[in-house]
Amino acid sequence: MDGAVPSAGDPPATGGAPPIFVARALCKSYGSGEAAVHALRDLDLDILQGEFVVLIGPSGSGKSTLLNILGGLDTPSSGRAAWRDHELAGADEAALTAYRREHVGFVFQSYNLIPSLTARENVELVAEIARDPMRAEEALALVGLSHRLGHFPGQLSGGEQQRVAVARAIVKRPDALLCDEPTGALDVETGKLVLSAISRANREVGATTVVITHNAAIAGMADRVLHMGGGRIVAIEANRRRLSPEELVW
Amino acid sequence: MSMLDRKMLRDVLALRGQVLTIALLIGAGVAVLVMSVGTFLSLRGAQQTFYAQSHFAEVFAEVKRAPRTLLPQIAEIPGVAIVEGRVTGEARVDWPGAEVPVAGRIVSLPLAGGQPALNRLRLLVGRLPEPTRHEEAVIHAAFAEARRVRPGEEIAVILNGRRQSFRIVGIAHSPEFVFTSRPGSPLPDDRGYVLLFVNETAVARAFDMQGAFSELVLTLAPGASEPAVIAELDRLLQPWGGRGAHGRRDQPSHRFLEDELAEQRTLAVTVPLIFFGIAAFLLNVVLGRMVEAQREQVAALKALGYPSFPIAAHYAKFVAVVCGLGAALGVAAGAWMGEGMLGNYRPFFRFPEMPYLLPAWLPLLAAAASFAFALLGVLAALRRILRLPAAEGLRPPRPAALGAGALGSVGGRLSARAKIPLRGLLGRPIRTGLTMLGIALAVPMVVLGLFWWDALDSMVALQFDRIERGDAFVALTDPRPARAVREMARLPGVLAVEGQRIVPVRLRAAQRSHLLALSGLPEGATLRVPRDADLRPVQIPREGVALSRRLAERLGVREGDRVQVEVLEGARRSHDLPVVALVEDIIGLTALMEIGALNRLLREDDLISHVALRVDPLAAQALWQLLAERPRVAATSVKAVWLRVFDEVIARMVLTSAVILTGFGIIIAVGVVYNSARVALQERGWEMASLRVLGFTRQEVARLLLGELAVAVLIAVPLGLALAQGFVALILGARNNESFDIPATISPATFATAALVVLGAAAASAIVVRRRIDRLDLVAALKARE
Ligand SMILES: Nc1ncnc2c1ncn2[C@@H]1O[C@H](COP(=O)(O)OP(=O)(O)OP(=O)(O)O)[C@@H](O)[C@H]1O
Ligand SMILES: [Mg+2]
Repeated sequence: MDGAVPSAGDPPATGGAPPIFVARALCKSYGSGEAAVHALRDLDLDILQGEFVVLIGPSGSGKSTLLNILGGLDTPSSGRAAWRDHELAGADEAALTAYRREHVGFVFQSYNLIPSLTARENVELVAEIARDPMRAEEALALVGLSHRLGHFPGQLSGGEQQRVAVARAIVKRPDALLCDEPTGALDVETGKLVLSAISRANREVGATTVVITHNAAIAGMADRVLHMGGGRIVAIEANRRRLSPEELVW
Repeated sequence: MSMLDRKMLRDVLALRGQVLTIALLIGAGVAVLVMSVGTFLSLRGAQQTFYAQSHFAEVFAEVKRAPRTLLPQIAEIPGVAIVEGRVTGEARVDWPGAEVPVAGRIVSLPLAGGQPALNRLRLLVGRLPEPTRHEEAVIHAAFAEARRVRPGEEIAVILNGRRQSFRIVGIAHSPEFVFTSRPGSPLPDDRGYVLLFVNETAVARAFDMQGAFSELVLTLAPGASEPAVIAELDRLLQPWGGRGAHGRRDQPSHRFLEDELAEQRTLAVTVPLIFFGIAAFLLNVVLGRMVEAQREQVAALKALGYPSFPIAAHYAKFVAVVCGLGAALGVAAGAWMGEGMLGNYRPFFRFPEMPYLLPAWLPLLAAAASFAFALLGVLAALRRILRLPAAEGLRPPRPAALGAGALGSVGGRLSARAKIPLRGLLGRPIRTGLTMLGIALAVPMVVLGLFWWDALDSMVALQFDRIERGDAFVALTDPRPARAVREMARLPGVLAVEGQRIVPVRLRAAQRSHLLALSGLPEGATLRVPRDADLRPVQIPREGVALSRRLAERLGVREGDRVQVEVLEGARRSHDLPVVALVEDIIGLTALMEIGALNRLLREDDLISHVALRVDPLAAQALWQLLAERPRVAATSVKAVWLRVFDEVIARMVLTSAVILTGFGIIIAVGVVYNSARVALQERGWEMASLRVLGFTRQEVARLLLGELAVAVLIAVPLGLALAQGFVALILGARNNESFDIPATISPATFATAALVVLGAAAASAIVVRRRIDRLDLVAALKARE
């Protein structure tokens, strides 16, 4: 954690896989002049294919902003952000929608399930618009919810809802799985269930995964941990061994 | 300013689209109320003022010729206050260039000069005739305006076959001719009918009435019994050819005015109440939903320890702002439209002045009522929220009002995308029902505006294509032997003729009575065809009288019952006759007999008093002229003229209300659809945003939200069409007008237009909301839920 601030071009610590996300001199600011808020300042980043990355840092440090840009929900004020050969910085709304639709799976702190659809239907909803989805039952089995297919979100616990959200995110076999505080609203045990679902998806679907968390313990699951502060990445930590969620000490 | 007040103002600004559409909704309800009630009160006010100022008589009687020496005797009748005799007569007017001969009536002014004691004239221009100048005349304003007659001009009239010229010295209104039309016609024909007021000497000479009178008008002393006075009057006048005295109720102008006022009162009450009810209901629903959409805010305030009262007061203020805005709009628009409506009455009712009266209580009442309805909706919604435990309120509303099990099976094998709108509708059935009802109610508004055209079309078609099939109707000066018909048949341009015998009668059944003309028709008549409810021609059995359905209702009799027929002519005998058939009529009230049977009843030979004609259109113009010059022809009424007047006068009135109500229909449709969509967006914005995050396109997301509304609209429109039919029947059932019967006919075109207007309004609202969906801020939407 107290490692040196990495330079922009530093090769990632793990393996020789090509970077899948690339950010260079990424800036995002809100407002202008004196009152401007700089959420991201000249941020550089490479994330490798299949990597499990945890983003950690104090509130307001720009984690969500970064994730939203990587996920094509938001666009930077300046700088470059690319997913493979997709330029995300200058893309228009339609291109970003297509990018999200084809390549990205999202999980948020609030589960954002459609209340009028059952667990299975919530997952099917996304499968319907995906190019090569797995079956909804398969995705729900991956998160350990085979027995709750016909339940509405209102009939599920928070953790179960979040696992449905994970299933919904992975059913399309996304290239990238982006999670913003997925366990923020959950207790330890439930959090572990959700994290293992995410970790399994990362391994079995091969989705490059970025998880934002306030919980330093979760960092043990990651290939790399990126520490953010003041709109920059202030430290990068590489784990030699990824812990399974069960091994995490909360 | 308190924090909540600031929130209220921000809400008003943030929800300005909704605030505006709701304010328009309130405005529309208030406007209709202000317009209709204001119009009614203004007409009523003008009538009362004019009647009082001009000493409008209360009892009227016509005689053939009675000596003036009878007058003191009549004045002695207990209960009579002021009595005045005068001479009146029908006149033909020689008006160069008139398309159709101009008819008229001449009324005498007192021998001594000056105003009569009763039915005083209200001079607009000029003066009354000098007592010694027999060639001077005052002309009624209706004809003077229509034909641009000015004082100083000459007018030539044929009185009793003699041509006489009068110089116009004044233009006036008269309380007995507020509504003027040719006798028997329910529409004014200002260009074709003239009223002249001249010195008695001039009329008396023309009609051989020196020292006599042919008409009597009187007022009653306070507390006097009108029937008693009429009975006594009838007794005194009987030897002189009295035609039956009657009260104001049977005075043509008054009767028509009262009918119209009654009609206006119906419209002033039913339509605005229906309309206002709908607006209030929508207000209730829309505002209720708006509050519900803020349930988390409310729950949060409550969780923070805010007491309920200030929260409720906060929303009450919000409602007050919206209602105040709406009521202000409504009063301004209503007063403006009321003036316009009143303007529409000007050609009908000639009052010296007809100011638009808007009593202060009316807008206040309207505003207070809308505020109350709105507040009810809001408070009900608020109570539902405040009753929830704080934690429950903070969570999104549970989706399944239907049992989760039942809902889970909804949609079956449909795609998940199709299930969202479907379950949105079924998951909250009450709200869905209310929304649909709200949209459905927009349809009758448009239909209520448009159906008048259909009704009038079918009225004209029934009356003039099916019943009155002649092109003209000629009144003879006196009953003539039936062979007079053959003479008329020989006139150039006449294709077919049929004689009729028409006599004034009073029909009585139990306590009810009605004064009208009884027509005797030849068997198998083709120019006037009585028809039953299924429009099949009816042969009138010789042993009795046929009544129109509406007349029978008024008299409270049915087929087979007996009515007393008092003939108000000649020997004035009474007969007891069975009602042998019921027939349809649209305009006026009808009583019919077979002509032979009628003449036998009168103990007269084969006599006719009127002739119906079918005419070659090319020869018509010349024929009217020819008829006008025949000495025994009293008046000719021409169907084409009648239809033209009908079109001009009625169509304009109908157009005004059609435009107004259609406009309101649109406001309702937009109000409901737009607000439903906005509230749905407000409630489910995050749902839509998260779908966008998952890669759904704008169009796909919009389809989910608007699909729900589209389904609601598609179900609501047919429902609205059915409701429209019901409302039309309700309104027409509430009116009771003897001048016109308006059939509840709604054409497919009207239905289609109403449906399209509502669909269009819904589509426009959807487009506006669609643009908001396009602008959804994904990041912000996600953040708001965190
Ligand atoms: N729409 C916005 N307008 C103005 N400032 C914003 C907006 N969105 C984010 N910010 C600011 O940008 C900075 C970074 O925000 P961001 O949401 O990325 O933080 P974060 O690291 O995710 O924090 P947290 O851990 O609390 O979620 C913050 O200072 C925030 O106030
Ligand atoms: Mg964040």
